[in-house]
Amino acid sequence: MDASRTPFPTLIMTGRLFLLLATLAIFHAAYSTYEHLSHLKALGRPGGSLPQSIILETLVGLVLGILGASLNAPELKEITWASEMQKHKIDEMDSRLGFASFVTRGRNILSSSSKSSAKEIQ
Amino acid sequence: MSLSTALERLAKYRTNNTRASQKTFEQGCLILKSGPTTKLGDEGWAFLEQLALASIDVGRLDISDECLKQLAEKFPRSPRVDVLTGIRMEATESPETVLQYYGELLEEDSANAAVWKRRISVIRRTGKLEKAVEELSLFLDTFYTDVEGWLELADIYSSCNQYTHALQALSHALLLAPQNPFTFLQFAETAYTSGDLPLALKMFLLVVEMGERGASPDAPPTGIQIRAWLGVKLCARRLVYSPHVSSASDTPVPKTIKLIDELATERVLAAYGGQKETGSKHVTDWLASR
Repeated sequence: MDASRTPFPTLIMTGRLFLLLATLAIFHAAYSTYEHLSHLKALGRPGGSLPQSIILETLVGLVLGILGASLNAPELKEITWASEMQKHKIDEMDSRLGFASFVTRGRNILSSSSKSSAKEIQ
Repeated sequence: MSLSTALERLAKYRTNNTRASQKTFEQGCLILKSGPTTKLGDEGWAFLEQLALASIDVGRLDISDECLKQLAEKFPRSPRVDVLTGIRMEATESPETVLQYYGELLEEDSANAAVWKRRISVIRRTGKLEKAVEELSLFLDTFYTDVEGWLELADIYSSCNQYTHALQALSHALLLAPQNPFTFLQFAETAYTSGDLPLALKMFLLVVEMGERGASPDAPPTGIQIRAWLGVKLCARRLVYSPHVSSASDTPVPKTIKLIDELATERVLAAYGGQKETGSKHVTDWLASR
């Protein structure tokens, strides 16, 4: 993604930072859960509940991830017909290439054999 | 000019139906020389077809022969390659030979629209306009949704000054592509040329309205909007002086014609009043004259 083309590069940077923090938070919470559960298994109480801090960390990771993904989104594109038609020119819309005649003056002016004959005339 | 930008530009020409043959030829030759086109994948074949057409247009039949050879090797009995061969024949052979070739192709497969279109194009090029119109009407009876065909029919009629028939053909094109302001503009200009000023005014105003959806009303007009506003000014000026002009299509003249005239003047001045001032003096002189 080219940051120089977007109007608000700081938003994209913030979005990427949030996504990074959210990923780290989720991984850390997952690792903590694993450690906590193996700690409980070692103590002989395998059915214990998770501590509040891990749940809070997961929720913070979720919120940061949503914010980061929204801010990191690419620029919105136009969807109206009027904006689409603005980009076209009359020659393109009226070109009728299925019926176009390819026997034009181009071959007499631009082909190499005609260049040599033009030099002879001069 | 790197290869990928050249390929991108050529792909854009293909989607927009642009016929910039000289530019296509120059960029296409670069790509052709850079190596075998098999590594371009599926796009490579469409690119070869585009380059073949551009080189025939420019007169370099050697390059087009090379492209055609590669395409014929890859797709031996394809109708698209047959059409391309026919176009290559059009460049060197006489029209009778080419028409016979297309006739043979149509006998094999009478639903091949592309071959039929080329046949009509050759008939028109040789000057037999009545026969071309007949064939084109038959074609459009079979393939009604071909907008290109209706535009071509309108063009043939306009070249013979038969503007009512041209307007009829354009109205079919309008039915098929109602979101396209360019067809409305062509309709308006044909109506103006045939003398039906109220109809032309109505259509020019439609083009203006189509361009305004989404644009801010104070911005100066751009693109075909300038052409549409100039058309409105042309019609409104004559209608202000003779409001009871007869219209062949019985279109009524709007009661607020003076206000429309003033608005058109203001919009045309806004379009040409920028910093560049290219032609603004000519425009103001024209607007001030009768």
